[in-house]
Amino acid sequence: MVTALSPDDVESRLRARFGQDVLAFEEQHGHPVATVSPERYRDVCRFLRDEPELDFGFCDFTGGVDFGPERGFEVVTHLYSISHAHNVRIKVRLPFDEPSCPTISDLFPTADWHERETMEMFGIRFEGHPQPVKLLLSEPFEGQPLRKDFPLMSREAKPWPGLVEGEELEDEE
Amino acid sequence: MGLITEKTPLPKIQPVKFLLNWGRRYSLWVMNFGLACCAIELIATSTSKHDFIRLGVIPFAHGPRQADLLVVAGTLTDKMAPALKRVYDQIPDPKYVISFGSCSNCGGPYWDSYSVTKGVDQIVPVDVYVPGCPPRPEALLHGIVKLQEKIKDEDIQEKWASGHSAVS
Repeated sequence: MVTALSPDDVESRLRARFGQDVLAFEEQHGHPVATVSPERYRDVCRFLRDEPELDFGFCDFTGGVDFGPERGFEVVTHLYSISHAHNVRIKVRLPFDEPSCPTISDLFPTADWHERETMEMFGIRFEGHPQPVKLLLSEPFEGQPLRKDFPLMSREAKPWPGLVEGEELEDEE
Repeated sequence: MGLITEKTPLPKIQPVKFLLNWGRRYSLWVMNFGLACCAIELIATSTSKHDFIRLGVIPFAHGPRQADLLVVAGTLTDKMAPALKRVYDQIPDPKYVISFGSCSNCGGPYWDSYSVTKGVDQIVPVDVYVPGCPPRPEALLHGIVKLQEKIKDEDIQEKWASGHSAVS
């Protein structure tokens, strides 16, 4: 019976192998979360997949986060181990201008469509992706709709009358 | 095309018109165009508890060419819109459309979305709108009764003279 590794165990194994290339490490919702550079992203993923004690054989999702022009983008990949039943997330920080990230679709076939979706929604380029075309959006669609600066035409015409994101109710009693 | 065309003088005679509209409104083969959660309510309306066969709505036509009524139930996206147009074009005249639920009426909760068509009436002419998110099966039954009232008063010659039932 193989047991799930704790976030600390995952961290020590990643630190032992990659040292300072693991830029940051934290624990979120009981899952280990490692931040790595785009150059080491593929190596980290391959290590997590092939190391028998880790055995992250399944890519749950790959997505993007838009932090605005100053902090740029983040690619988040969630890996799961079916044999050990433990999770890990890998984050890759990217610049706001021309964000580009290596593909992991050859390591995890699941990542193929997720990367295509991230590509069309955020405009993040995935270097080495075998089929870098739109997945969900219709062909004539222009723009990256999940970017924060993407204009929603309905809201341009008529602003939302209720509370907006981040606004609190003044008096909640 | 049915047996009655714009050149047929028959429907001017009141009993014939009554008979044609009576037959038409109580045998509506429905085309299930379920796109989201509203489709569950549409299917629930067809099953034994609500049972819209008692109103003469027959579930479900095997294809658009055998249908009389198109119920658009759910969120229509811009990418799906050509498929809806294609299904509508394949239904033979006379044909009727019920827009079921807020999403197909006007976009509903996705009113500001980048991908949702705000109202199927931009794509196909709609006879009856059923509001709700999703509407209960009773609401669809009410919509069907309203549609049948509309068909009852229909003059097929006028309908053809004004370019079918197209509202666009």
